[in-house]
Parts: sequence; C-alpha cells; structure tokens
Amino acid sequence: MTNKKFPFAALAVLAGLALAACSEQPSEIAVDTGPRTYTAAQAESGAALYGSNCAACHGASLQGSPLGPLLSGDDFLAKWGTQTAGALIANIEANMPPGGNENLSEADYASITAHILATNGMIRGQTELTAASTIEIAAYVAEQSAAPASQQRQQPEAPEGLVIPGTVENFVPVTDAMLTNPDPADWPMMRRNHFNHSYSPLDQINRDNVADLKLEWVWSMKDGDSEPAPIVYNGVIYLINPSNIIQALDAASGELIWEHHTGPANRQDMRNIAIYNDKVIQATTDSRLVALDARTGEKVWETVVADVSKGFVNSSGPIIADGKIIQGQAGCARYIVENCYVTAHDANTGERLWEFNTIAQSDDPLGGDTWGGLDDIFRAGGETWITGSYDPGLRRTYWGTAQQKPWAPPSRHMSINDVGLYTNATIALDVDTGELDWFFQHVPAEALDLDEVFERMLVDRGDQKLVLSIGKHGILWKNDRVTGKFLGFKETVFQNAFTHIDPDTGLVTYREDIQNATLDEWIPVCPSSTGGKDWHSMTYHEPSGTIIAPLSQTCLENNAREVALVEGGGGLASLRRFFEMPGSDGNMGKLGAYNVDTLEEVWKFEQRASYHTGTVSTAGNLVFAGDLDRYFRAHDVETGDVLWEARLGTSVQGHPIVFAVDGKQYIGVTAALGGSSPRTVPRVIAPDIQHPDNGNALYVFSLPD
Amino acid sequence: MKIPRLFSALLAAGLTLATLAHAQSGMFRARLSEVPVTPQTYRTITGVGEVLATLNGSTLSVTGTYEGMSSTATAAHVHNAPKAMNGPPIGAIEVTPATTGEISGSIELSAEQLMALQNEELYVVIHSENNPGGELRGWLLPRDM
Repeated sequence: MTNKKFPFAALAVLAGLALAACSEQPSEIAVDTGPRTYTAAQAESGAALYGSNCAACHGASLQGSPLGPLLSGDDFLAKWGTQTAGALIANIEANMPPGGNENLSEADYASITAHILATNGMIRGQTELTAASTIEIAAYVAEQSAAPASQQRQQPEAPEGLVIPGTVENFVPVTDAMLTNPDPADWPMMRRNHFNHSYSPLDQINRDNVADLKLEWVWSMKDGDSEPAPIVYNGVIYLINPSNIIQALDAASGELIWEHHTGPANRQDMRNIAIYNDKVIQATTDSRLVALDARTGEKVWETVVADVSKGFVNSSGPIIADGKIIQGQAGCARYIVENCYVTAHDANTGERLWEFNTIAQSDDPLGGDTWGGLDDIFRAGGETWITGSYDPGLRRTYWGTAQQKPWAPPSRHMSINDVGLYTNATIALDVDTGELDWFFQHVPAEALDLDEVFERMLVDRGDQKLVLSIGKHGILWKNDRVTGKFLGFKETVFQNAFTHIDPDTGLVTYREDIQNATLDEWIPVCPSSTGGKDWHSMTYHEPSGTIIAPLSQTCLENNAREVALVEGGGGLASLRRFFEMPGSDGNMGKLGAYNVDTLEEVWKFEQRASYHTGTVSTAGNLVFAGDLDRYFRAHDVETGDVLWEARLGTSVQGHPIVFAVDGKQYIGVTAALGGSSPRTVPRVIAPDIQHPDNGNALYVFSLPD
Repeated sequence: MKIPRLFSALLAAGLTLATLAHAQSGMFRARLSEVPVTPQTYRTITGVGEVLATLNGSTLSVTGTYEGMSSTATAAHVHNAPKAMNGPPIGAIEVTPATTGEISGSIELSAEQLMALQNEELYVVIHSENNPGGELRGWLLPRDM
C-alpha cells in the first residue's frame, strides 16, 4: 500500500523547496498527526548510531564522500522518494554498514532512518518509525513553510539547455560508413570502432619519439563523478561532463565551441556519448535519450528509456548500429513489474524500435524455468551497464549482462543451480529485430557480485570471427561470435571462486563453500568486486595480435543478507570487506598482454596503484594507460616497458583518445574522480595513495612542432 | 609381473623422495598486509611488513619486520589455509610487543604441513591489542615468486 496523496509529479517541486541538508537536525520540524511516523527521540537516538556506523562514508551531515553517496537533498529523494520508509530501513539493514555490525538491531536501523529523515527536514509523526512502514519517503517532505529558512538547502539554480551557444563550422554529417571504417584522424565512438578495439592507426607518435610528448592544452571539467570517454570527429572533441553536460571543443586548441546542460544537474557520471548524422546522442543518468545538434548543441529530440522513479538509471551511453541507437539499462535490482531491457531507437527521431528483456520471464521457453520458480516480479538484475559492440557484416550487436540481484543466491531465495538466464552472459542480438541469436552464460548463478558485463571485443583471425571479454573474475573468455561456441579461456589474475573450468565447454564449478553459502556467512574470494577487470576497457593491437587489458588485484569477503520477497524490495544485500590479493605483493594494478590466438600472457606490468582508464593502443606500437596515483604512461606494446609518463592533477580516469587535426597527432586523457567499487576498494586497501579530491579535466598531449 | 610392480614401487618411492627433498629446503617470503577491511575499519587495521622463512628439513625458521600497526602487537602465528582463505594456527612465533617491530621463531612442520607449505597454504598472522583476531597477514610463497 502506498500513500497516494503525494504523487511523484509533485515531488520535485516540494523537494527543491524544502529539503534541508544541514549539519544538524532541524529543531522545528513539522509534526504530523496522520500516518507519518518517526519521533524526535528516535531521530536523536539514530543520530548517535549514524555517527558511529555511517558517517565515515556518508559524511557527518549526510553530504556523502568518495566512500559513500550523499543521503540528503534532491538526489536522495530522486532515488528513494517513491519507496517506502520500511523499504529504506530494510535496504540499510541488508547492506550497511559494509562490514556489518552485529550489535545493530532492527530498531536501531529504524532509528538511523529516522535520523536521515529528520536531517532532511522531513515531517515527523507521533509514533516511532518501524520496518513495517508503508509510507513513501516522498510523503515525509515538508512544505516550504514547515522548514526554517535557515535550514533550507542553499544552492544556486542549475542552468539548463544550451548555456554557451556556438557553431561547429563545416560540419559533415556522420554516416554508417564513417562509423564502420573511421577516418584515421577520428575517434568517433567510445572505443573508436564498432569492434571495440580502442586502437588508432596513427603512428606519428611512436616508440622512437614518444619520450618527447608534451602537454598541448588542458581543459577543466565540471565537478562530480566522472569516467568519461570523449569522442573526436573532424577536429572537434565532444566531451561528456558530470551532471549530463556536453561540451564541444576545438580539438587542436581546446577552445570551447558550445555547451549544453541536459540535466539533471546531479554530479553523476555518464561514461560515453555517440555521434550519428548531424546529432550527438546522449544517454542521461535518469534514463533518457537526448539528441543534440552536433553543429550548435541545440536539443533536437528527447525520449524516456525507463522510469527513473522505479530505480532505473544509466551510467553508459549508446552505440550506433545501422542507423539505430542501441542502449543498455542499469538500476534493475528492484522487485517491480518493469523489466530490464536493451533497446533500439531510431537515431533521427528517438522512436523505440525494439527491446530485448535480459530477464527471462516465466513464459520464456528457454529461460523461464531458470529462476527457481520465482514469480516474475522477483526476478531482478541483468543490467547492461556497459556499452556493447556491433558487427555490421553479421548484423549482430553484442552485449554483456550483469548478474542476478540480489548478489548472493541465499539473498535472492535461490540455489546455486538457479542460473537465471540471461544474466552474466554474452548476448548476440539481431540488430534489425532485437531477437536473441545466441547467448553464452559465463558464470551462471553468480554469487559474489562478480559480474561479466564488460565490453565485448570483436576480433577476426583468418576465418575465425571471435568475441572476447573479461569480467570481474578476471577470466579472458574467447567465443565464436557467429555461434557463441566456447573456444577458450585464460585466468589473467589469481581467482579462487572456481575449482574447475571445463576446457571444452567453459562450464565453471564454484568452490564448495560458495555453492553452500548461507545468509550471514563470510565467504572469501578473489578477485574482489572491483574485478579482475572492471569498466576500464581493454585494447586490441591488431598488428601484434595482442589484447592489452587493465586489471586489478584485490580480494573480498562477502556476507549475504536476508531480503524479503516483497514488491518494491530487492537490492544488492551483501556486506563486504576487502584485502590485498595474495601473491600480488601489494600491486593492485596490472597491465596484462595476451596473444589473441593462444591466450598466453605475453607480458605484464604490475604496480601499487590501480588502473583507472581503459587501455588504448596505436600503430606507433604504443599502449597508453592511466592510474590512481596520477600517472599517465606510454608502454611499448611488445614488452610493456615504460617509454613516457606524465603526472596529472588528480587520478587519471576515463578513456584515452588518439586523434589528428591537420595532420598532427594528439593523445588525450581525462583526470577524474568518482565511481563505485574500483574507487572504494583501493581507497581502503591502499590509503597510502593520495590524490586531490578535485581536478576533473581533459589533458591533450602532442609532439613539439 | 613382479618386476614391473617392483619398478613401479621404486619409481613411486623415488618421486616421493624427490618431492620431500624439494619440500625440505627452500626460501619463502610473505608480504604482510591488513586483514580484510571496510570503510569503517581501514583506519584501525593498519600496517605492513615482510616475512622471510627458511625450511631446513622439517623446521621452518621465520624472521620478519612490520611497521605501522594500529596498536601493540600481542602475538604471531603461522596458520594453515589456501591463499585468501581462513584457517587454524599451527604454531606460534615471537613478536615484538610494539606497533613496529620484528617477528622470529621456528616451528616443526608435520608431513601434511610440509605439503601445505609447498602448496602455498601457510600464512603468518600478527595479532594486536585492537585487533585480537589479527591485524596483518601474508601467505608464504616461494621466494622466487
């Protein structure tokens, strides 16, 4: 049952007016005589518990930190407004604090929640809040007059729309042919080509002269979480910033051409954008697709992909395939009727053309019976939160899917035998219809938050058409991309999740204690939830037939928590603690180079700092990567030797780009902050690595003229 | 039939002896680092160290240093479990009662423990006042690794 008096449509207005995010609880909070519950004494009790259990990550004032999101203001309300207070209590109890606290009772969690509501200036009631509460969080929002003015959130109104106008001169529309065979000077999509090679044919900068590389220009970016992959087309860089802001920059000079604020201005992260015809295609963090005129930055069309109030979000953008926008989906962990889709849209209009549900429903003849008999509403996960790839010849688009949710089988009321199609798999979809051509489930019934969702790299070797990927287990998988047939694997870092991987079928056998894990049991495993490998994509250096991957070496202990099968519930529901990977000698970062034919390791380069960019290789026989310790380096693609390095303003994070303007080659990379496990785990394991907590920027390097 | 059986037995014995001979000498090293941490605990579970171990026969001699622990070291043990797993102690070694100091000692290994050492399944734990369950740990791996 939900409170119908506070529809979400009205929420944004109220939220913007009245949410308080001050350091202390408002003293004159309005009191409700109706159904809303929590008392001043309960909130006061919760304040002490919050201070000792939550403040280290979420901040004393709920303002958030690199270790945990903020719990106040519009962002908090956008995420939790349509959920009940009882669901919020259950979520906190299931997931927090990360290492667990046996001394916290359900009443304590209710008190902590009461403190959060009170600190946000929300209306309190006359009885105590309990986990049984069915009142939506939005119903607690006070009207403007109810909160003291001194406690209202003070923030300037965020600009919207085309904030800085300008025109890209001599713009030539982008065709399918241009995307299939990009001009050597361009980097027109996230990983440069449809095959996700992250490889540039430019060789002006090479092993012989890379030591002379110098900074050409730097451009400071907006503050917030940032993992950007800029794109470059015809001398213009299109740069996605935090808060859903896109800028067009002259690629040679760094001059701003136009700037568009699509919003929401939430400081959240979007990894990539796309370009097609005369439009820049933008996925927003609140699950919309927006097309901007690539010449002027003016908005052309907008469409909703999924309902953000249901928890759907996005952190990665689309790939363009045959005139269609192919977009994934994140935030599918909630027990709701709505499903989790890959969708295709007309690039000129945004019209939805097809969708593929990554969660097999009970009437699905292939996967309907793989969810332990759960009702469809309780089948969750399967996000496609990393952009896929495309084979124009086969007319197939390839995506990785995330694991089932919650993270561990006992939390989701399932066994290790309930594999849950089509999660943690490679899926091959017909680009014309969205129909599933084939799938290969790399890790069925995933049990430890180690998803296999990352980029699918397409490689042709002779007559072989391959698809390769590395998930959080750090296993390099090789499959035939025509049939899906398993062809081989390579463990790139130490893993102890599986006692056996069948060399003929790729079928994994979980360690026995993982198979039999129960609620509230600590299960150690390597790698940790930061991977093996995470979102930082790998490169394929075709001249040497080598894949070079940015890898991470940490481990975790996972503790599955109970999750009730109730509509609107769900979530992730594990406590985690992290440690160095034995045998790594404290080196979290690893670049690993693998022969694509044999999968043998050609070379490795290990270091204390974790890597936070994708790898990029060039015809100059170089591979570039950046790390937490602010280093951006060029390595010899054949040996891994360091040939050049620069130390940037803060952690180097995002996706390097290689491009040319008027015949001169450039290398670009972003310094950036924010993110989840890949940032949280190094922060607690290696606090010796320090970097500024600001400094998002795009750096561009070149050789002296 | 007897000759092949005898040959097989001798061959097996030879292999076993060779295995034991390999196991009965060697140098091992462990990097000591924090036991599992969370954002709540990483400031109170701290430190780093290095352990060198020499196997002579069935005697494992351990020396090492550590620094930066959050509180005074109270005990040190060698434990038995595969890498990244948790297992029981099999012997105690001396540790300086300080936040920075040394460990040293020798323990006699059984045949099973010798095999565990060879399989990289022995690890060193230093306990402290703040973290009686262990603050630093590290697996003993062949020194050339």
